[in-house]
Amino acid sequence: MDSIKANLLKLRETRKKILGCLPLYPPMEIFHAMDLIPVTLWGLRDMIRTLDESDRHIQNYSCSVARRAAEFILSESGMMLDGIFAYNACDTLRNLPEILSNGLQDAGRPLPMFQIHVPMVPSGQTDAKDYLCNEILSLIRLLEKTFHIPFSSDRFQDSVEKYNEVRNLYRRMEKQVASGKMTFQDFMIAFHSSGFLPVEDQIRFLSGELDRCCNKESKPGNHPIMISGILPPPLPVIQAIEKAGLRIVCNDIASLGRYYGYSPGLNASVEQYFVDFYENHIPCPTLLYSADNRMEYMISVLQKTSAEGVIFVGEKFCEYEYFEFPYLEKRLKDKGVPSVLIEIAVDDEDNIASLKNRIDAFAEVIGQHEGRP
Amino acid sequence: METAKIGAGKHLTQVITKAYMDLHERAANGAFVVWIAINVPAEIFLGFENVVYGVPESHAAMNAAKGVGVTQCAKAEQLGYSMDLCSYARIDIGCVSDHGKDSPSFGLPKPDLIVSNNNNCSLLTKWFDVHHRQMGVPHFLIDVPFCYQPQKEKDREYIVRQFRDLIRVIEQMSGQKFNMDRFCQAVDHSIQGVAHWKKFLEFADRKPSGITAFDSFVHMAPFLIQRGVPAFEEHYRLLVEETEQRVANCVFPVPEEKYRLFWDNIAPWHQLRKMSSRLADLNANIVGATYTSCIGTKEGSFDLYPFDNTDPMHFLARTQNSYICPHGLELRKQAMAGVIRKLKIDGIIFASNRSCKPYSITQMDQQQYFFNQEGIPTVMIEVDHADARKYSEENSFLRIEALLEAIDAKRAA
Repeated sequence: MDSIKANLLKLRETRKKILGCLPLYPPMEIFHAMDLIPVTLWGLRDMIRTLDESDRHIQNYSCSVARRAAEFILSESGMMLDGIFAYNACDTLRNLPEILSNGLQDAGRPLPMFQIHVPMVPSGQTDAKDYLCNEILSLIRLLEKTFHIPFSSDRFQDSVEKYNEVRNLYRRMEKQVASGKMTFQDFMIAFHSSGFLPVEDQIRFLSGELDRCCNKESKPGNHPIMISGILPPPLPVIQAIEKAGLRIVCNDIASLGRYYGYSPGLNASVEQYFVDFYENHIPCPTLLYSADNRMEYMISVLQKTSAEGVIFVGEKFCEYEYFEFPYLEKRLKDKGVPSVLIEIAVDDEDNIASLKNRIDAFAEVIGQHEGRP
Repeated sequence: METAKIGAGKHLTQVITKAYMDLHERAANGAFVVWIAINVPAEIFLGFENVVYGVPESHAAMNAAKGVGVTQCAKAEQLGYSMDLCSYARIDIGCVSDHGKDSPSFGLPKPDLIVSNNNNCSLLTKWFDVHHRQMGVPHFLIDVPFCYQPQKEKDREYIVRQFRDLIRVIEQMSGQKFNMDRFCQAVDHSIQGVAHWKKFLEFADRKPSGITAFDSFVHMAPFLIQRGVPAFEEHYRLLVEETEQRVANCVFPVPEEKYRLFWDNIAPWHQLRKMSSRLADLNANIVGATYTSCIGTKEGSFDLYPFDNTDPMHFLARTQNSYICPHGLELRKQAMAGVIRKLKIDGIIFASNRSCKPYSITQMDQQQYFFNQEGIPTVMIEVDHADARKYSEENSFLRIEALLEAIDAKRAA
């Protein structure tokens, strides 16, 4: 999508250092507070069309998130970055920093790498809060040393407010989708257009989009459903879903609802803020300690939004998600909620006929389901 | 190639058979049963009087080696588990769903507690979560930070704290008291056994090699399911003695050894006999493997990491990153470079394993490094450690034969 490229160029014009963050949930507020511009390297589907550089380093049975992030960093686009951040989000992503370092070294443009370990122990087991606090403080020290920018608590509070505002705007936008004032497709276009913008510009952009759709008429109708997975499906698949008579009113998507669903409280110290951020995060299979709460969370959202079914958007080779699908599908079935799994691989955007068939069939199931006692 | 089962081979069968029989029998008689990931310190459970442990990964490998891997995988796939998931996990989930049917050991007894960790892979935690939810059994997760550099003291302390919490959980759940002396004795058996293991691997130093990596794959089973008991120590002592005798008698697995190869990844359990025989016919011997060399070490080196007789809990924590997957590319290269020089390796086989992404993901960079920087011919083949459907013997050997030709060309140059 051209907007990503355009936004990236705008970022460069700010002359601030840009930190490329490997997904899923990096501590953005810290980087922003230190006058860096953090960008989370996902949602690159429309920008990265070939994977030549990535394929020199990573097997093709890695997920598209890792392959596209690697491609972005190792190709020309990566030249606008001043550093890379990663945490132990998954087995693939934890190995990526060294692979990227190697590739960047070969290309003659080494970048500083920043890593933390986010504890994965379940609450009530071993108290890992001190460990995480130490990781956060060590990261700040390293950023200060590398970029010669001192950390300030006041600036951090300002950053927290801004990021919470962005999350809040996304949540409001999702409500507009649920009420029928906005299609999910439009929401996704706005979401992608606001990606790779400085947080201040994101706020302006999203506020404008919200103002625009507030004046629109609600167009409810169609069958409300939830989508769940790591990334939202490609736009042609979203179009197919909406064309089939389904309306996406809520989501359990890592780059969407799981990201903006929870805002930690203000006025905490930086390390306590991130204890709250990770501990109370919307459940995600990659946050190992939270996975047991995912079903309960999904059910509560389904009830709140009256969604009638779930489309699981399987990110090909994301084993975190795939281990959970059979359990989730079964539990939903027990509760009388139909679901379907569609799988999205790297090149599936150009090849969605079979996905359309599944979506149409699912829409029929939902229609029939409605009439049941 | 020598194929008759040697004494240690018979002993191995006895040890493994007895281990599974004891596990079932003790579980039936009320022992507290724990299912663990392979590198959870088994010695902790031996610190209790009546706690037994089963190892789903090892059990899955045994199923694959005995030719029922695909049968078990198919059961999991019928339940909706994707073919892209780790084949160990699919075998185990399939086997549990069918109450141990088709398993050489009739499965594992139902657990009271499941203990996973995320050092080899976080997916193991996801896999064990399947059982945790299905069976309603508590799941204790040991969180081991990944190493880009040698393990840090803060990480070691964090791991030790979790070991102590695990002990507390078992005490509460089982009503048994942890006994430090029993635990120390178990650690001692493990340390002695591992020392013998390293001696066994050293028979690959000589030319022709006294062993093949396939021997080490087969004989690692006690390390996985029998750590901390006298039989573990005894088995590896016997293995060393016997191999020593065979070498003294000039009995070598590949007597006309022309190519000394090294294997990177988990063993292809469904191909052990076929692959070793076919390689031997080509006078090629895989004399070592990262998979078996990392036992008893710490990250970044395949040398024995000795116990300094101080704190066994810290010692076990210190070795938690030694297996290949819990550490990064640079440490992997460092350890591998050392052993490749030591064993005078002619070529490396990188087994790109769809069922183990954490093991495989660094291989393309490793391959480039060893070829470009160390000048060693390499090849990458596609395998799956336990799902034979994802392996093509002819494709693999086409590449392996090309590797042997590259070695010849290098020698001729």
